[in-house]
Amino acid sequence: MFSFLKILVRNLIQGPSTDPFPFGETFTPEGLRGRVRFDASACVGCRMCEHVCAGGAIRFEQSESELRFTLWHNSCTFCGLCQHYCKTKAIVLTEDWHLSHRQEEKYAMVEQGTVPLAPCLGCGISMIPVADELMRVAYRETNQDIDRLRRLCPDCRRKLGIKGVQRCKM
Amino acid sequence: MKTFLKKVAAQSPWLYRINAGSCNGCDVELATTACISRYDVERLGCKYCGSPKHADIVLITGPMTTRVKEKVLRLYAEIPDPKVTVAVGICPISCGVFRDSYAIEGPIDKYFPVDINVPGCPPRPQAIIEGIAEAISVWRTRL
Amino acid sequence: MLEMLSPFFHLLLFPGGLFALACGLLLKGVDRKVAARLQRRIGPPLHQPFVDLIKLWHKDSSVPETAQSRVFAWAPHVGVTGMALAALLIPIGGVYTPSGAYGDLLVLLYLLAVPAVALMIGGAASGSPFGAIGFSREMSMMLAYEGPLLLALLSVALKVGLATGGVATFSLAEIVRYQQAHGALLFDPVMWPAVVTFLFVIPANLGVVPFDIPEAESEILEGPLLEYSGKELGLFQIMSALKMVVVLGLGVTLFCPTAPGGLLLSLAWFIFKCLVLMVASVTVVRSATGRLRIDQAFSFYFKWPEALGVASLILVLTTRNFP
Repeated sequence: MFSFLKILVRNLIQGPSTDPFPFGETFTPEGLRGRVRFDASACVGCRMCEHVCAGGAIRFEQSESELRFTLWHNSCTFCGLCQHYCKTKAIVLTEDWHLSHRQEEKYAMVEQGTVPLAPCLGCGISMIPVADELMRVAYRETNQDIDRLRRLCPDCRRKLGIKGVQRCKM
Repeated sequence: MKTFLKKVAAQSPWLYRINAGSCNGCDVELATTACISRYDVERLGCKYCGSPKHADIVLITGPMTTRVKEKVLRLYAEIPDPKVTVAVGICPISCGVFRDSYAIEGPIDKYFPVDINVPGCPPRPQAIIEGIAEAISVWRTRL
Repeated sequence: MLEMLSPFFHLLLFPGGLFALACGLLLKGVDRKVAARLQRRIGPPLHQPFVDLIKLWHKDSSVPETAQSRVFAWAPHVGVTGMALAALLIPIGGVYTPSGAYGDLLVLLYLLAVPAVALMIGGAASGSPFGAIGFSREMSMMLAYEGPLLLALLSVALKVGLATGGVATFSLAEIVRYQQAHGALLFDPVMWPAVVTFLFVIPANLGVVPFDIPEAESEILEGPLLEYSGKELGLFQIMSALKMVVVLGLGVTLFCPTAPGGLLLSLAWFIFKCLVLMVASVTVVRSATGRLRIDQAFSFYFKWPEALGVASLILVLTTRNFP
C-alpha cells in the first residue's frame, strides 16, 4: 500500500529529470522532421511536391524566365511526403525545430527558391533545364548524346528521337 | 519601485488553453509540457489555470470551427489585460490542412491579435516551451 | 498607550498580518518546490507565491454581469479578515502567547470555517453555475471534515482540562503551558489517534489535491474562484496562505508547542515544525494522489477520521485516572 512512498523517496534521491531547455541544450531525436530546405539547383519542376502536400503549403509560380518555389512553414504539417516523392532530393526536411516566431514574422516563415529557365538548344523555347541529380537518377552513366538531349525541350527531344529511329532503319 | 514590482510580476505568467476546434494533437502536446517532468513549465513560473480570468498567456489550438467561434471570442474577451496570445500548431496560424473548409472560420488572427506563433503539426514540447519563453519576454513589456 | 496599541500590532504585523502572510507564502513556495522534487521536476523558485501575488496586483479585475457585485467584491475581504483574526490566536511557543481576551480554541474553530464560507459566498454571488457547484461541494466537504476536526480539538481540550483539574480547557495559552510543563502531547500514545485525525483533516481543510474537490480546476474550472480575477483573486491567495499558517500552526500548538530558549530560535523552530507538518500532511499526499470524487471524500471522512476521533475521545476519557 505504501509503495508510492518508495517511489517518492526514489524520485527525491534521483533528482530532477527535467530538460535544461530553454536555459540549456536539449536533445533532438534522429530523423526529426523540421524546417524544410529547398535546393533549387536540384529541382526539375515536376511539381509532385505541390500535388502531394497535405497542408497545401507548397506553391509554384511560373513566369517567363523562372519557376518560383515557395513553402510556407506555417501551413506545413511536416509529414515529409514532399521529401519522399522528390526523386532528386531537392526538398529535404532538416532536424531544425526552432520554428516559433513572433507575429510580425508570420509571413516571413517561408522557404523559397527559383529555378531559372533556359532556352532549348533546338527551338529556343524556355524550359526547365534538367538537373544533374536527375541525370544521376535516370542514367547510370552519361555520354555526349545524352548530354545533348539535356539541353533540348521535350518536343525537340521527341523529334530527335523519331529521327534516330529513321536513321536506324528498323 | 513600481518598475521593480513590475519586473518581479513578470516572472509569474499563468497559462490558459483555448481549444478552438483542435484535433487534440496539440492539446496532447500541451498536456505533455504541463505534466511530464522532463518539460516542467512550472520552473518558468508558469501554472496552468482553469479559469480564463486568471490567465496571462493564452495558448490557442485549433483552426476556429464555425461551431466554436462565438464561444472562443467570448472566452478571449473574458481574459483580463495585459495578456499575450500564443497560437500553437499550424491550425490557428493558417488553418493548416483544414483550410478552405466550409466549417472553418480561421485563421484566428482575423479575430484577435496574436503575438507568438508556434508552427508544427503538432509542435514538439520543446518548441512549445520555446514559444512560451518568447511569450514571457513579450509579456514583460506589456505589464 | 502601548497596551492599547498591542492588539493592532498583533493583528497587523506579528503574529497575524504581515508575518503570517510572509510565513504562509513561504510555506506555499516550499510546498510547490518539494512537490516538484517528489515528481522529479525542478519546480518554481521558492519566492514564486510572492511573485504570483504581486502579479495579480498588476492585473485588471472584472466583475461578471450576472454577479451580485457587492457581495462578490466583499467575499474575499471577509475571508482575509477572518483568517487574519485567526492568525492572531495561534501561539508561537516561547515567543508569543495570545491573550485570553482575543479568544480561545472555540473561537479559532469558528474562524477556521470563515474561508470556506467566504468561498461559498463568493461562488454563490458570482452567478456562474461552476461557482454554484463549487458552493455545494465546499459545503459537503465542510460537513465532512468539521466533525473529525472538532473531535481532535476536543480530545486535546479534554486531555489538558482533565489533567489540570477541570473538565475541558479551551484556552490556547493553557494548552501550551501544560505541554511545556509535561512534554508534548505528540509523544503521548493516548493522543496518537487525535494526531492522526488531525493529519487527516489538514488536506481537506486546506483544499489540496485529494480533497480539492470544490476548487477542482480540471472539472469545474476552480469553482468559486472561477469568476475572480486580479486583486480579488490575490485576496483569496492571501487568505489561503494565512489559512495554511493557521491550520499548521494549530496543529503545532495542539500537539507539539515546546520551544527551545531564545526568541529567534523559537521562531525558527516554530516555522520548522510547520514545514515538517506541511510536507507530511500536504505535500507528500498531494504529489502522490489524484483527486477523489465528492461522494468518496465524504464517505471517507465519515468513516476513518470520524471513527478515529471518537476513539481518541474515549481513550482520553478512560485513561484520565492513570496519568
